[in-house]
Order: sequence, then structure tokens, then C-alpha cells
Amino acid sequence: MSNALHVGLNHYLVVSSLLFMIGVAGVLVRKNVIVILMSIELMLNAVNLSFAAFSHFNQEPGGQVMVFFVMAIAAAEAAIGLAIAVAVYRKFNGIEIKLFENLKG
Amino acid sequence: MGSYDVIFYILSIVSLGAALGVIFFPSPIYSALMLAITMSGLAAMFFTLEAYFLAGVQLIVYAGAVVVLFVMVLMLFDLRKESQPFSGQKISNFFKAGIIAAASMALIIPLSTVFFIRTEKTKPVTTVDLAGTLFTKYVFAFEAIGILLLVVLVGALALAKSRGGTHE
Repeated sequence: MSNALHVGLNHYLVVSSLLFMIGVAGVLVRKNVIVILMSIELMLNAVNLSFAAFSHFNQEPGGQVMVFFVMAIAAAEAAIGLAIAVAVYRKFNGIEIKLFENLKG
Repeated sequence: MGSYDVIFYILSIVSLGAALGVIFFPSPIYSALMLAITMSGLAAMFFTLEAYFLAGVQLIVYAGAVVVLFVMVLMLFDLRKESQPFSGQKISNFFKAGIIAAASMALIIPLSTVFFIRTEKTKPVTTVDLAGTLFTKYVFAFEAIGILLLVVLVGALALAKSRGGTHE
């Protein structure tokens, strides 16, 4: 830790946690369901970055395998979330998160 | 500060700036474009981490498929100007997010110095290692992901066929 500007694992983890927090802030402050889903993708990508960084700095392929699984889950989640958003838009003619409280059984 | 460091800082500034653009542009279509920039920046960061195959998959799956999916769905909606894109108690929400961010930084940075073991480059993880691990140690999880994707396919079709609501 002699030179703080020399890039190591910590730098990647800081970028990853900042990206995660931007995603959390997006979920908290936006009303549009599509943008909320995008913020969730940002959070998943932040986790991917820290997995890849740990994998690189420990020479362990398991972290990269986890990134693959997260990518598959994220694509599935985006597909289902957008399908639900389209269904809600057809029913209520809007995609604000407030409309989701009308959903019942 | 070598060229590796300079590239890292440029990429992180681009990625984080574009991520801020995702949540601050009022129009969702600009958010989708900013999301594509963030994904591309992260793919370049995977390159700096010597995860070349992962960088390619990131570009294809995220910057390609997922962002295109978002843009396609946005195309279906009526993109009139949102009267109020941000939810009401904006200041307090940002305050909460800031507190969580500061707490997570305060946790992560000391923890990462504890767990950060090796700095010297011994042997980078190659795509061959990656494939070997994926299809031996994690093969059950791989099969489970396959089943999950099948379920998601059926679920998305069921959602697309329904007319919204289960009572009609």
C-alpha cells in the first residue's frame, strides 16, 4: 500500500460499491418501472465486477463462473420484468411503479 | 502511475458517469443509451482484469441483448413526457442511499485489505480454466441454470399471452 494510486483489488471494489449504490439510488428515486429494472441491472453488474476482480487477484476461476451465472439470471430477470411491465401497461395504461399496488391475485 | 492505472481511472469515470446518467436522465430512452455505455465500460474493465471471454459475453449479452430488449419495450410504450420522473421524498432517499454507500465503503475497504493476499502475477485465469471449472465443479449449477431458463421462457410466454389480470 505504498502508492495509493496504483490500481489493486481495492480500487475495483470501490468502483463496484459505488456502482451498486448508484443502482440502489436509482431504485429508490425513480418512478418508471423500466428505469428501476435498469438500476437493478446496474447493481448486478457491480457484483459482476467485484467477482471478476476477486477472481483476477486470487487466480481463482470460480469467480468468473459465478459471473456467468449472474449474467444468465440477470437476462432472465430482465425478460420477466419487462413482460410484467408490458402486462401492467396494457391493463393500466402506464408504467409507474405506483400502478403495481393495484395488482391482486 | 502506469498506463494500466490511467486506463482503469478513465474506464471507471466513464462507467460511473454513465451510471449516474441512467438514474438522472428524465427520459427512459436516454437512460437505456447510458446503460449501454456503462455495460461497454464494464466490458473494457473485464479486459483489464484479463477476463477476455467474460468481456465478450458482457458485450454480447448486456450491451447487445439486454439493452436492445429495454429499447424494444420502451418502443411499445407511449413515451410522453413524464410529469414527475422522480419520486416524492427525493432528498431523504438520496440521504439514505448516501449513508448506505458510506457504510459499505467503510466496511469494504478495510475488509479488502485484509483479504487481499497476492499481488504478484503468477498465472492468470484463462478461458480454458474457466471452461474446465464450469463443466466439472459447477456442472450441477450449470444444469440448474438451464432449467431456470426453460421456466423463464414458459413464464414469459404465459405473461405475454395473458390479457393483464387473471379474472377475465
